[in-house]
Amino acid sequence: MSETILVVDDEEPVRRTIVDWLTESNLGCTVLSAGDAESALHHAQSTSIDLAILDWNLGTGVDGLQLLEDLAEFCPEIVAILVTGYASRATPLMALRKGVRDYLDKDQEFTRDKLLAAVRRQLTQIVPAKKRREMNAALSQFRADVEKVLPLVQTSAALTDPVPLPRAAAVLCAYVMSETGASHAAVVASVDGAIRAWDAAGSSLQVADVPYGRTLAGAAAGFGAPAVIDLSDSSATAGLNLHPFEQCRRSALVAPLAVAGAHGAIELFDKPGAGFGGDDKRRAAAAAAIGAELLAQALADRDANRALFAAVAAALKSSDLPGESSHHRADPATLELAEAIQGLDARHGSPAVQHCLELVRGLSRLLDDLAGR
Amino acid sequence: MTDFLRDLLALVHPDRLLHDPRADGAGVRVGVVDSGIDRATIASAHPNAAPIDGVVLTPALGPYTGVASAPHGTTVADVILTVAPAATIYSADVFGPSGTGDVAAVVAAVYHCLDAWNCQVINLSLGVTEARLQPAIRRNEFRKAIEEAYHRGVIVVAAAHNDHPLTKSYPAAFSPPLISVDKAIFADPLEVRYRPQEEVEFLGHGRGYRGPFAREPATSWAAPHVAGVAARLLSLAPDLRPFEIKALLSLMSRARGNA
Repeated sequence: MSETILVVDDEEPVRRTIVDWLTESNLGCTVLSAGDAESALHHAQSTSIDLAILDWNLGTGVDGLQLLEDLAEFCPEIVAILVTGYASRATPLMALRKGVRDYLDKDQEFTRDKLLAAVRRQLTQIVPAKKRREMNAALSQFRADVEKVLPLVQTSAALTDPVPLPRAAAVLCAYVMSETGASHAAVVASVDGAIRAWDAAGSSLQVADVPYGRTLAGAAAGFGAPAVIDLSDSSATAGLNLHPFEQCRRSALVAPLAVAGAHGAIELFDKPGAGFGGDDKRRAAAAAAIGAELLAQALADRDANRALFAAVAAALKSSDLPGESSHHRADPATLELAEAIQGLDARHGSPAVQHCLELVRGLSRLLDDLAGR
Repeated sequence: MTDFLRDLLALVHPDRLLHDPRADGAGVRVGVVDSGIDRATIASAHPNAAPIDGVVLTPALGPYTGVASAPHGTTVADVILTVAPAATIYSADVFGPSGTGDVAAVVAAVYHCLDAWNCQVINLSLGVTEARLQPAIRRNEFRKAIEEAYHRGVIVVAAAHNDHPLTKSYPAAFSPPLISVDKAIFADPLEVRYRPQEEVEFLGHGRGYRGPFAREPATSWAAPHVAGVAARLLSLAPDLRPFEIKALLSLMSRARGNA
């Protein structure tokens, strides 16, 4: 969106001259003009004015500074160059507060070059500030939209969770127990370093706080295929940390679940009679293939949801950065960061944003530690 | 059969070579690239074995504290010391606390065995499928490490996939620079049979002795049997090159009556 300059001067030749200078100079701006305060306000009602070039003496008892105050009602970010021979009448500080950024003296060297130089100086400030305001507005709108949608997304994620792991574990255990004649069964999974286990009822089982590699399921993962172990033989269990639900069993058939990014196993215990045989291994392998698929699906859904929520969180966080109102101007570096995060998300997706967040959190922790907070 | 071959087979008969009292692995350094070795378990089972040194290579190079990430490597070391009781074992743990390893850690472990420990034998009772070798640069680095060992005269023994030949596993399928091993159950655990099939050349005794699933036939236990046999041969002739060890294994297989 190009910038709009409003020229207000009650002397028509002066006004026309200034407009001509501006339009001929290829500033890329829209130039409007008004001969009095009323016309100027009329423009401001319908158009967002970025820069006003105001004559101090508008000839109807209204001075340029008063007009600027009125214009700001419609265009809060407006700034002005005051054309005057009476600069001393307005204190610089008051004028600055009202938005006057420069003065040009009508009586001394009021030339084309001087005017254009002053206008260009203001445009170099106005353009990036306007861009930031537009981004703030867009982010605020985005934040409002996301906050409206987030509960729907979360509900949807919960509703579309295809088969919760405990229920999947229960079904798998029941199936493979009926096929093999095992007395008990459990599904063990290690996700993000945490071990969890469920029995044939889908109930969560107590697990030992040990590295997965040293568990029965972990050992099976190293073995790579369904295998039988005599749990009453101390030489067979050497180096293993058994979970409480494994400690009271005599023998186990363990089938590892081959899933990228996680570990798991189906564990069958204590088949009466001759114990587990080759057919049982094949059945356990078939069940493990299904179990691996279910685990992979659960992980994929979890990752998808996690990525989505991370993106939303990142977006909300980034929309926080520029500030809530136009009166509270954000630091330019903060705005740059917000823009950088937006760009990161657009180019590399939510994992990159997530990584960025981790870095920011790490830095925050470091600074908090250093500051003793 | 020519007289020459008959005489040669008589010379390399397993009874003559492997049952030589000097063929105990003495002076041979064997690197076990696996899940670490439980030092106490090995010391208890093999009280005369040299203390095990080692490193942990994942998530980064770290010290070995005598504890295994998983029991698998201990079973492997136990097999090697059962076959070659005087061998010196080194543990390169490529699984670490997370219980997961990657190709980069295995490659680093192979170079560590070569450079830091001057191993003459490296046992790899592990493998990955073709998919996990991608991108191509990862596959090339893995192969390069295996070939580097070969050119340095180091014998690398790698376990085939338990489903071989249905599933191809690397580095075993990088054969021939290494000795690739499938499983069989032999009456004599020192038997190594030459039976090339889909890039895997040898069969080793696939039953272990100690640790979880050791009694289950597996290539993971077959490979250290072959590594132990290689260590026995090296204790008789330390300068044997990988191709010479292969030739001896092949000839001993033939001397046992296998084609």
